[in-house]
Amino acid sequence: MKIREKPLPMTVLAGFLGAGKTTVVNHLLRHAGGRRIMVLVNDFGELPIDEELIATKEENILTLANGCACCSMGGDLYAAFSAALDFIPPPDHLLIEASGVAEPKRIANFARAEPDLAMNGIVTVVDALNYENARSDARLSEILKNQIQTAHMLLLNKCDLVGSQDIERHKKALRKLNKSAPVLTISNGILAADIFFGIENPMPGSNPAAENEHHHSHESNFSRWSFKTEGAIDKTGLREILETLPSSVLRLKGIFKSLEDGQLWAVHKVGSYVDFSHLTTPDNFSGKTGFVAIGLSSSNLTEIMDKAFASLEE
Amino acid sequence: MSAITVFSAKKIITMNPARPTVTHVAVRDGKIIATGTIDDILGWGDYSLDDSFKEKVIMPGLVEGHCHLMAGGIWKFIYVGYQDRVDPDGNDWPGVKTLEDVQARLADAEAKLGPDEPLVAWGFDPIFLMDRRLDKTDLDAVSSSRPIAVMHSNFHLMTVNSTSLSLANYVADMDIEGIAIGPDGTPNGELQEMAAMFPIMRRLGINFREVGRSRESVIDFGKVCNRVGVTTAADLINDLPDEDVAEMTDITNGSDYPIRLMSLLNGLAQPAEETSARALELKKKCTDKLRLGAVKIVTDGSIQGFTARLRWPYHYNGAPNGIWNIAPEQLNELVAILNEAGVQMHIHTNGDEAIEVALDALEMAKIQKNRPDLIHVLQHCQMADRAQFRKMKRLGVAANLFANHLYYFGDKHYELTMGPDRALRMDACQSAIDYGVTFTIHSDAPVTPMAPLFTAWCAVNRLTESGRTLGEYEKITVAEALEAITLGAAATLQMDHEIGSIEVGKWADFAILEDDPETIGAEKLKDVGIWGTVLAGEKHKIP
Repeated sequence: MKIREKPLPMTVLAGFLGAGKTTVVNHLLRHAGGRRIMVLVNDFGELPIDEELIATKEENILTLANGCACCSMGGDLYAAFSAALDFIPPPDHLLIEASGVAEPKRIANFARAEPDLAMNGIVTVVDALNYENARSDARLSEILKNQIQTAHMLLLNKCDLVGSQDIERHKKALRKLNKSAPVLTISNGILAADIFFGIENPMPGSNPAAENEHHHSHESNFSRWSFKTEGAIDKTGLREILETLPSSVLRLKGIFKSLEDGQLWAVHKVGSYVDFSHLTTPDNFSGKTGFVAIGLSSSNLTEIMDKAFASLEE
Repeated sequence: MSAITVFSAKKIITMNPARPTVTHVAVRDGKIIATGTIDDILGWGDYSLDDSFKEKVIMPGLVEGHCHLMAGGIWKFIYVGYQDRVDPDGNDWPGVKTLEDVQARLADAEAKLGPDEPLVAWGFDPIFLMDRRLDKTDLDAVSSSRPIAVMHSNFHLMTVNSTSLSLANYVADMDIEGIAIGPDGTPNGELQEMAAMFPIMRRLGINFREVGRSRESVIDFGKVCNRVGVTTAADLINDLPDEDVAEMTDITNGSDYPIRLMSLLNGLAQPAEETSARALELKKKCTDKLRLGAVKIVTDGSIQGFTARLRWPYHYNGAPNGIWNIAPEQLNELVAILNEAGVQMHIHTNGDEAIEVALDALEMAKIQKNRPDLIHVLQHCQMADRAQFRKMKRLGVAANLFANHLYYFGDKHYELTMGPDRALRMDACQSAIDYGVTFTIHSDAPVTPMAPLFTAWCAVNRLTESGRTLGEYEKITVAEALEAITLGAAATLQMDHEIGSIEVGKWADFAILEDDPETIGAEKLKDVGIWGTVLAGEKHKIP
C-alpha cells in the first residue's frame, strides 16, 4: 500500500564528526536547482543551516526561501520519517544527515523497506585532514570503517588543505575498504546536486534547471553521457552491465521498456547500488526513453558507456 | 493546626537506623510528624487513630528509579507474554505458554474488535523462538483479512500476518536486512529493527511515543505503580513539550493520582545549551507530585541486542561490538555543559566501555567544575567492574543497576553475550556496597514488569529463568535490597530528604504489605502481598 503518489527518493549523508557533512548540506541547499529538498538531521547539534538561507523557523522546522526544509530527527526515527512523508508540500528529495556515530545502512534500510521511500544511495564524507587520526581511535574505528564500507559514493573532503601525496594515500586506503564506490576529492563540501542526488530527469532537454546546472564551473571535472533508445531492453542483462561499470561512472538514471514484461521501468545507479522500479505514474514523463550518466571527465565516460551499452544493443 | 492521623501496624519498617521498626506513625499535613509507640506520639497532641493496617506491615513507599510511562499505555494492546501479568485495572493476564495459547489469546481479542481496527499485541517472549519461530501462518490462522502485528517483549522485533505484509508490499524477497524470509522464499512475517517495522507501524498506526504520552497512559501508569507498592517513579525519557508538562501537572495534582512522578528530559534531542536551558526551565515547574529538571542521556544500546559498547574481549559469541548513540567526544562536551549548569544527569550505559566513557566524561566535567550539589547516575550500569565502582565512589556518581536482567536475560548473558566471568559479575550490587556507591535497582518497565519487591528478589537471589545462580558474591541481603528500592532509589532521584524512609519531616508515603519482607524469607521476597499504598497520608487501596 502506497500512501504517497510516488516514492520519495532518500539519500543518506554519513561521515564522522567534523568531516564536513554540514558544509555539503549547505552547498546542496544553495544549489538545489529547483529541487525541493527536505533535510532530516539525525544529530542533536544546532540545525546546520546557514542563517541567510533560512526563511522561517516554526517549532523544529526550518523553511528555506527556495522551498527546501530542514528539521531535527530528535532521536525518534518513527516520528521523523512520518513527518517527512506527510510533509506539505511534498519534497522531491529526502536527505538524511546521519549522526557521526550512525551506521548509515541502518538508516538507508528505512528507504528500502518503506514503499513510499526510494533508496537513492549512501554518500559518506571523509575528512582528508583527520581521517587517519580518527581511524586510530579504537572506540570509533569500527563505525568509521562501517561508514566507508557501506557507502555508494565517498567524498574525500578538505582536499585543498592536504598535499597530493596525502590525498593519494587516503584514496588508496578508502579503495581498500570499499572497492565499488567512487571516491571524489572535494573541498569545502562543494559537489553538484546532480551527482549527490542523481540526475533529476533521465532525458536531457526535459529539465531546464538541471541543464543550467551543467554549466556550473564546479562541474568541470564531470561529464555527461546520454543514450536514447526506444527498443525493449533485457532487464537482467542491463543489471549485469550496470553492476560491472567502473566506479568513475558516478550516477546513472534511465527509463526503458522491458523485454520481459513490455512495461516501462526506471533504473538508477549510484556506486555499486542498482535499483529498478516500475514506472507507475509517468505524469511528468516526456515519453522519451533512454539513459543518462554522469562520470569523471578524466575517465573517458563516453567511451566506457558507449562500449557497455553497445553489448546491450546486440 | 490541622489534625494528626496515627496509623498503627503489625510492624513498620522505617529505614531509619535510629528507629528501625516501630508500631505507629503519625501524619500531619501529609508529612510524618512522629514514629514510635503510641506513647511516643502522644506528646504531639490530639490525634485520630486509624488501625486499618493493624494486621499489615508498613514500609516506606517503594521507589522505581527507571521505568517508562508507556508501562501504562502499552495495555491498550493485547498482552501475549510468557509470564502472568496484571493490567492497570487489575485484570489478570495469565502468561501464554504455547504458540496455541498465543493464537487463542489473539483470536479472543480479534472477535472483540471493530471492522477496521488492526490487532496489535505486545510482550511476546523470546522463549518461543528457541525451536520453532512464530510466523505469518500462525497469525493468518487467527485472521486472514485483518492486519495483525505481534510486538516482541524487547520492542526490537515484531511478527505480522500476511495481511500486514501486503500492506507494506512485503510480498517477495527484496533482500532487505530485517525482513526475514521463509523456506518458500517470501517474507515469513518476522521483522527486525525499526527500519523493517516502520512501514507496518505507519500503516497500522502503532506509535509508541504517542501511546506513552497519552492522558490514559499517564493515568494507567499511576495504577501500575500503585499495584506494586510504588509511590514515586521516574519516567526515564520524555520530550516534555509544554503541553505534555501541563497535562502531567494536571493529572498528578489530582488527589486520586497515587504517585509522585519524575520525568526526565531527553538530552539527545536538541543542542547541549538548549537542553541545559530547558532542564533549568522545567525545574521551576516542579510540584510536590511532579518532578522535572533532570536529563537522560543514552550512550550505547542493550546487551541482549548485542548493541552495548564493550571493552576487550567484547562479545562472548564473537558478535561485533555495539553502537554509540553519541560519540565519546560529544558526550564529554554535553556532560560538561550540563554539569556546569547544575543539571542532574542520568546516563544510560550498559557495556563496560560505555561506562568507562561516561565516567571519563563525568571526571573531566567535575575537574572543570565541581558540583557537590549534584549526584549524577549511571543507569543500567550492568557491566561495571570493581575498578569502575571505585571510580564512581571517587567521583560521587551513583548507579541504578538492572537487577531484573539477572532473571530475564541472565542465561543468555552467561551462554551468549558475556560468557561466565562477566555474567557472574553483572549488576554488581555487592560491589556497589563494598565501595559505598549510592545505588538502586530497577525494572525498566515495560521492558520487564515493574515490581520493586521482585527486583529486590532478583538482587538477593540472582537466579536466572532456568534456575542458575548468576554470581554468588554479588548477592545482597534482604535488608540491603529493601534499602535499595526505597532510600537508594530516592537518593538517585535526589529526593532522599523527602522520601525513601519513614522519618520525621518526610512525606507520609507508604507501601502497605500483607506480609513482612524482612521475615518471609529471601526466596519468597517476590511473593509479598501488597494491599496498596499511602501517599501524603492518603490511602490508595489497590482497586
